[in-house]
Amino acid sequence: MQSLCKFYEMGDQIVRALDSINLVFRLNDYTAIMGPSGSGKSTLMNIIGCLDTPTSGIYELNGQNVAEVDDDELARIRNKEIGFVFQTFNLLPRLNCLRNVELPLIYAGVEPEEREQRAAEALVKVGLGDRITHKPSELSGGQIQRVAIARALINKPSIILADEPTGNLDTATSHDIMDIFGALSDAGNTIILITHEEDIATYTRRVIRLRDGKIESDTMQ
Amino acid sequence: MLLRETITQAIYSLAINKLRSWLTIMGVAVGVFSIIAVMTALDAIDKSVESGLTSLGANTFQIQKNPATTFGSGHSRNFYANRKDITYQQALMFRKGMTGQARTIGFIISSMANQAKFANLTTNPDVTITGGDENFSASSGYTVASGRNLSEGDIRSARNTVVLGSEVAATLFPSGENPQNKLIKINGEVYTIAGVLNKKGAAFGQSQDNFVLIPITRYLSHINEKSSLSITIEALSRKDYPLAIDRAIGTMRLARGLTVKDPNDFEIRTNESLIDSFRDIQQAIGTGAFIISFMALLTAGVGIMNIMLVSVTERTREIGIRKSIGAPRGIILLQFLLESLFLSLAGGLIGITIGILIGNVVALQFNLPPIFPWLWVTVSLFVCSGIGMIFGLFPAWKAANLNPVEALRPK
Repeated sequence: MQSLCKFYEMGDQIVRALDSINLVFRLNDYTAIMGPSGSGKSTLMNIIGCLDTPTSGIYELNGQNVAEVDDDELARIRNKEIGFVFQTFNLLPRLNCLRNVELPLIYAGVEPEEREQRAAEALVKVGLGDRITHKPSELSGGQIQRVAIARALINKPSIILADEPTGNLDTATSHDIMDIFGALSDAGNTIILITHEEDIATYTRRVIRLRDGKIESDTMQ
Repeated sequence: MLLRETITQAIYSLAINKLRSWLTIMGVAVGVFSIIAVMTALDAIDKSVESGLTSLGANTFQIQKNPATTFGSGHSRNFYANRKDITYQQALMFRKGMTGQARTIGFIISSMANQAKFANLTTNPDVTITGGDENFSASSGYTVASGRNLSEGDIRSARNTVVLGSEVAATLFPSGENPQNKLIKINGEVYTIAGVLNKKGAAFGQSQDNFVLIPITRYLSHINEKSSLSITIEALSRKDYPLAIDRAIGTMRLARGLTVKDPNDFEIRTNESLIDSFRDIQQAIGTGAFIISFMALLTAGVGIMNIMLVSVTERTREIGIRKSIGAPRGIILLQFLLESLFLSLAGGLIGITIGILIGNVVALQFNLPPIFPWLWVTVSLFVCSGIGMIFGLFPAWKAANLNPVEALRPK
């Protein structure tokens, strides 16, 4: 992305949530984006995840300038290229694990038999092969987050985008989840984590620090 | 494929809020029910009208003071109310004037809600007393079952003789004894039974056999002297029918003493005119039902919109999640539109089912065969779909255009 900016108008004040960001993420990068509240990391994540478009600048994903496409094309890109993992899990509470995981495949137009098979495989991959018919309310926080990771993986996305994935989990569970991300990275996935916890960031290979909408540092470790 | 999934999701979402969905559905059902029930009943009655009304008898028409039904302003009702009664003298003059131009000319006058008594047996107080002459039974399509008809002498002398309709006879003489020459009391007055008429059956759910026939002269002298007669004329033949009507009008104008300038102050009732006036009633009821149903459906539509807006607000997060994993706007729109469509269609189907049931129960009361009003069922389904779509469109559009970032933001 080049000189990416995102401005918000709040009253008569213009908030520069992101100010001239230049970043490149490569295939199989494992990156943590860090920064205090209000540093713009959520805004950056929304733009990377194609939930939002920048006010100005270029965001190219696999060679396509995402800043210029319409809403439906953005939805298609989110479906195919991005796998979200949220702090608040964001599973549909009334659907069981299998149905939650296969949801992206429904929007991708995959046939039911293939959908169920792939969703079941993804759940096995995150260690929940015996929980596929459970509803989220019947699972622990760590298990719910693993369902969410399975959902993020299901469409083989270019980027797995995790927004504070351990924010609602205890330390032991957090490390379990980070182990899963580590394994996914080893398997060749590109992962971007947003976090404000230093020990979580130590699992990654690259740490980008944001402050006031600008990049403060970008280090490999 | 995606459509089938979206339909499943829509039904699933409705199933979660069962009470809310049912209440909304009932709103639509009430609107559809009212129109279907009324239309079913009207259709059923309509089917029987032609056969029922021809019970007047072929080649027969009536002269009466008022039309069969009056619709419209108080002015037109007063207009008929101010007409002078058709008197017995006028009727006699009319018959004299029509001599040789009609097969039969009968006079009738009747009052409802009377009671007849024999020994310790009493009829319900719903017996019609018909004052007629010796021609009444023939010109109204009755035949004498036992005993004799009213005679010319009965009429001339205003005798207290009575001929019983089959239903009255069955009530007062249940064991089948011969009623002839027995004495019965009608409204406290004693009458001698001359004979009993054959059963004619029901028309429009009303028995045509629950009456007693007494001499019209007796009726005018003892029951009500200020009544307007109805004259039943049977033409000589089918061919002669229009001519007979023309002559009857001329003769009646003469009998009523009208000058050339005066309009007719009486009505000619034919089978056709009776059917026409029935159609008027039918149309008025139909229009009324239609307007009321339309209002009810409009209200139901607002109800759907309201509930869908609540639903969109409640499910903001769900919409955000679906969007974040790649649901395009069109699919979100479709999902919410389908939900409102299903609500209104379910209401429509329930309304149609109950409406047809109730409508046919009403029809059954009139002894009519069951009816399935295809036209109205089709119209209702279309209207329901339209209401579901129109009132669901705004909430669905709102859902589809939610900003996913906003929708996902924790509250």
